[in-house]
Amino acid sequence: MKDSRTWMVLSLFITCLISAFALSQIYNLTLPQIEYQRNVAGLKAAFGTVMPEADRFEPATPDSSVWLAFKGETRIGSIIKTAKQGYGGPVPVTAGVDLQGRIVAIKVASAAEGLKETPGLGLKATEPEFRDQFRGKTAAEIRLTKDGGTIQAITGATITSRAVTDGVRETLEKYREMLILQQEPDSEQ
Amino acid sequence: MNSKPSRISYLTSGIIKENPTLILMIGLCPTLATTVTARDALGMAAAASFVLICSNIAISAIRKLVPDSVRIPIFIIIISTFVTIIDYVMQAYQPDLYRVLGVFVPLIVVNCIILGRAEAFAYHHGIFDSFLDGLGKSLGFTLVLFIMGSLRELFGAGTFFGSPVLPAAYRSAPMLFAIFPPGAFLLIGLLKALVNKLGWGR
Repeated sequence: MKDSRTWMVLSLFITCLISAFALSQIYNLTLPQIEYQRNVAGLKAAFGTVMPEADRFEPATPDSSVWLAFKGETRIGSIIKTAKQGYGGPVPVTAGVDLQGRIVAIKVASAAEGLKETPGLGLKATEPEFRDQFRGKTAAEIRLTKDGGTIQAITGATITSRAVTDGVRETLEKYREMLILQQEPDSEQ
Repeated sequence: MNSKPSRISYLTSGIIKENPTLILMIGLCPTLATTVTARDALGMAAAASFVLICSNIAISAIRKLVPDSVRIPIFIIIISTFVTIIDYVMQAYQPDLYRVLGVFVPLIVVNCIILGRAEAFAYHHGIFDSFLDGLGKSLGFTLVLFIMGSLRELFGAGTFFGSPVLPAAYRSAPMLFAIFPPGAFLLIGLLKALVNKLGWGR
């Protein structure tokens, strides 16, 4: 009976059946935890540097270029993602934006994360010296000094610098309504 | 000697005499690719050991029902089921490790050690013996991965399980070669040479 043709087919069928059943059980068992890792822990690792106070993130656009950042139940800002063409390829930038549309911090993807700019020149966009210029700036100010803005370009890497500034500014402007929820307080003007 | 090898030899033979990586020379791909640090190496070894032991037991348990002609597809379904289980579990509870090991977790399916033991041992032996065989081969595999991972981390980064052991002067300019792929090939070659010199493969 063991080597009959019927059993040959049947045994394979039964194996697949048991395997599929076991996997569906394991899948349902681990799914909540996997989702948690993806949505909470994973996002916190990815967005924590640009929005340190937030503990929860929700995608706001279908292409996930805008995420809403929450602390508890209160919305404290947004995360924008952009990848404008640089010198060697797209330059992925993640930026935290507060509710007045000011940049909290930006992060440029490192070479290990796929940034293809020139070492020593364009790659410097990942360093604090360049990144920290964005802190507290609004869309109107985010432009290279040579384009009439306030961001000092990296020497010898104008194209990369422009990709970062233009990418951030254009995304800020495109999703303006989604990002700015509070008007600038009068005292600061 | 006696017609039936003693049970304890099923367990111990896998560690040195029939060490899967250094003597049988199978399962080299994860040995080279996932041993950049001691922690990654142990993570990989744990995942592969789980799959090897479970599939050995499962295959041994159903061996009398499995037709010869379709045994390989059945083995592969069983093995890939366990691999998918460990894949989900790792993704859920060890996401950092999962990110590092990446594609090598699903690739355990095609790890020759596992299908090799299923075909050569579990299909012809009882459940307990197959468990011992799986455990022994797992220990042998783990041992080699651990040695590789520790040495590569030590020379390539100056650390051991992420904590610094070599002086800061070395850590600022470590022998990066050790954590690059050529370093892995060189190291496995040296280990194999050492094992041959010691005459372990009898």
